[in-house]
Amino acid sequence: MSQRKSYAVGTGLFIVLGFAALAYLATQTSSVANRQQGASYIVDAQFENIGQLKERAPVKIAGVRVGQVQSIALVPGKSVADVKLSIDKGYATIPADSVATIFTSGLLGDQYVGIEYGHDKKYVADGGKLALTRSTQPLEEMLSKFFGAGGAADNIGGTYEVTAHFTNVGTLSAGAPVKMAGVPIGQVVSVRAEPAKLDAVATLAIDNRYNQIPDDSAAAVFTSGLIGSQYVAIQPGGSPDMLKNGDEMILTQSAMQLEDLIGKFLVNGSGGGDARKDAGSSTPTAGKH
Amino acid sequence: MNARMANDNVVTQALGQIGSCGLFLLQILAAIPRSLRYGRETVRQLWFVGAMSLTIIMTCGLFVGMVLELQLYHVLSMFGSTSMSGTVVAIATYRELGPVVTALLFAGRAGTAITAEIGLMRATDQIAAMELMAVDPLAYVAAPRFLAGLVAMPLLCCVFCALAVFGGHLVGVSWLGIDNGTFWSNMTATVDVWQDIISGVIWKSLAFGAVVALIAVFQGYTAPPTSEGVAYATTRTVVASSIAILALDFVLTAFLM
Repeated sequence: MSQRKSYAVGTGLFIVLGFAALAYLATQTSSVANRQQGASYIVDAQFENIGQLKERAPVKIAGVRVGQVQSIALVPGKSVADVKLSIDKGYATIPADSVATIFTSGLLGDQYVGIEYGHDKKYVADGGKLALTRSTQPLEEMLSKFFGAGGAADNIGGTYEVTAHFTNVGTLSAGAPVKMAGVPIGQVVSVRAEPAKLDAVATLAIDNRYNQIPDDSAAAVFTSGLIGSQYVAIQPGGSPDMLKNGDEMILTQSAMQLEDLIGKFLVNGSGGGDARKDAGSSTPTAGKH
Repeated sequence: MNARMANDNVVTQALGQIGSCGLFLLQILAAIPRSLRYGRETVRQLWFVGAMSLTIIMTCGLFVGMVLELQLYHVLSMFGSTSMSGTVVAIATYRELGPVVTALLFAGRAGTAITAEIGLMRATDQIAAMELMAVDPLAYVAAPRFLAGLVAMPLLCCVFCALAVFGGHLVGVSWLGIDNGTFWSNMTATVDVWQDIISGVIWKSLAFGAVVALIAVFQGYTAPPTSEGVAYATTRTVVASSIAILALDFVLTAFLM
């Protein structure tokens, strides 16, 4: 009997230990605490693009977690995502004109909804809606902003459009900045192939404030940094006439391919040694190496 | 039955084993209500297969967590993200290593013991004696051990995982100098209760516990009543359990994750 009892006690201890371990895993090493929400209220926010946002993703104000994404659904008939945010009752004083933005934690991290306070005296209520939202930013756009020093110009004064033909646009895409002297003055509206001329035609929207650009200026596709995104640089000419809406820029310089650049670099670099060896002979070509 | 099986080829033999194992599972499930009379026996088996396995499970869990942390630290230091190593230890352990390694150890430590015990019970005619005494051996011998395995595995797996995280903490924070706060906060921010702990630790180890216990009891129950037969059945318990655990792990991962 006593032996049986020791079995029972030992087994009981084992079971208690097992459940203690489970409780330890659940409370100390996992996000169970994040999940335990007190009273919360629901706020709607509609985004054009939610990227990788998932349900139960955190909602943060100034980086502090205040709630989580309750549900994500497509608004019927529209290409707009309706995201319901479940926000802790303790944070009930969010101005109604606050902006909900989808952010990414770090460069490659998970996405979350960040709320930036507005100035409205009214607070958003349960079932209310945050009308001002900013969708997720594709990495390409972020990079282009990052490398593009200030990003695309704000087109407050309206824009005028000019076209430019390039034999090669590289990876230039719509939305890329147009810069003059490194300052963004507009953006690329569209890039498409011109079947008749077998080249690419880019349409550039330039801010009306910059209407003093000579019409013999050259447009060149440049790359920001070594691996940055590409943009169109305008190099002013000397003509007294200015570019107008619908004009075509005649002088263009196509994108440099990285392969070409490296090829030139290698040829020049190793060419120094060769040149001394066989001085007077023709310039070494890549084919010799 | 065994004489007839010896004449068959390997495929037929394996299929026959799987089929009779499945039938045996149904028999055990049917015997579980009857085995409730022998609750004390189930507790005793839980002691033998569960509590007695704690030492090996705890030791192995600790070392698995420690070595995982050590390896991850060296790889992640290349990317300057060593503070995530604890998180990876936790997730890898909860989702895969915990249930699988615990089940493999459980098969080696408890499964073999079950097979050998039942095999010897049959070899020494104890099971026949029970039948003469109108004691249902399925309800008194097989079902309690099956239930004990089913209950013990998740508990052992939790202990394993807890020790693995502790081992990771030991190496990462105490030895390699990762910040204690980021170690835990990264872990709690990333590990998900449902995804990692419930569907990883609990469901997987329940399934593995059922499979290992079933195979162990079945091999013991059908072992030829000779010393050689029992030895062979014990070996087969380990081999069949290991294959079943790893194959089932793939299937469960595909379904649960």
